[in-house]
Amino acid sequence: MRDRPEQEGAAPTAVLAAAEPGGSAAQVEVLARLGNGDRAAFAEIVDAWSPVMLRVALLYVSTQATAEEVVQETWLAVIRSLGRFEGRSSLKTWVFRILENRSRTRGRQEARTVPWSSAFPSDDGETGAEPTVDPRRFRGTDDAYPCHWTPDGMPVAWQPPPEDAVMAAEVRRQLRAALDELPVRQRTVVELRDVHGLTSEEVCERLGISPANQRILLHRGRARLRAGLDEVYRGRSREGSTGG
Amino acid sequence: MVEQPDRVEPDVDGAWFEVACQEFVELVTDYLEGALPPPVERAVATHLALCDPCVRYLDQIRRTTAALGTLPAPTLAPAVRAELLDVFDRLHPRPGDGRAGSP
Ligand SMILES: [Zn+2]
Repeated sequence: MRDRPEQEGAAPTAVLAAAEPGGSAAQVEVLARLGNGDRAAFAEIVDAWSPVMLRVALLYVSTQATAEEVVQETWLAVIRSLGRFEGRSSLKTWVFRILENRSRTRGRQEARTVPWSSAFPSDDGETGAEPTVDPRRFRGTDDAYPCHWTPDGMPVAWQPPPEDAVMAAEVRRQLRAALDELPVRQRTVVELRDVHGLTSEEVCERLGISPANQRILLHRGRARLRAGLDEVYRGRSREGSTGG
Repeated sequence: MVEQPDRVEPDVDGAWFEVACQEFVELVTDYLEGALPPPVERAVATHLALCDPCVRYLDQIRRTTAALGTLPAPTLAPAVRAELLDVFDRLHPRPGDGRAGSP
């Protein structure tokens, strides 16, 4: 009986299936593939999750080298206990639970504080009181168009766009530098959401914060990063134009 | 007290109110996350239909987010990855396959 019609094709679906809920058909299938030694499926999952696992480990341990060890240990534990995994949660949830347990243990052994654990909510303006865009870019409340953009303050066109090959390298350099200058809680949320592509639910779970807090941190972080890119573009147009 | 025609608070469900640009930029993330109460979401959509600079601001937030997704992230060293795959092969051999079959 042939019940593995496309096994050799190894369609890039293992990562998606591994995030499906426990007991779902997709999960049953991916667990069967792994149990039957589908190396390509395992490699796909390792490649997709290892970067974000390293980032999550760094919430608990203080060096990249320790994070790499923890992630490696986690994958070894996953390989060894795969046969005993009962599939009550998604494979992804299970793997990250192992990762977090091991990271926490290593963090305690290190007895060194890591940025996330030592940051206080108030360090990052989590109350959300201050504006994220310079108020001088808007008209006053007694203007005919109160609180609308001023002619100079309104967003300028980003030409060429950030995804254009001409801009991509400079944009990445600027974003990396601006990320490193963000308050640690904002940086962490933006990195997990936008660099590593976790969902808001996953970020809240990893960081133990409320959905509202997650949105405020994401909002403030993204707004600063946009403003940084905007400066790059305004600088370019100043250099490019003859007058002012 | 300054009168603010752009800030009519909704007192009943579905009440009409407007957002100004300066309010929009603070609502943009909740808008993208689908976290706004329906009347506010409608007001934001109405504002965007009439305000090109705010459409541009929204677009720039989206482009910033997309560009963040292209940042290189550190991953496992190739040797570590190769070792993990070897351990996987040893502990989860393909059924009926004594050795590595395919090239
Ligand atoms: Zn506007």
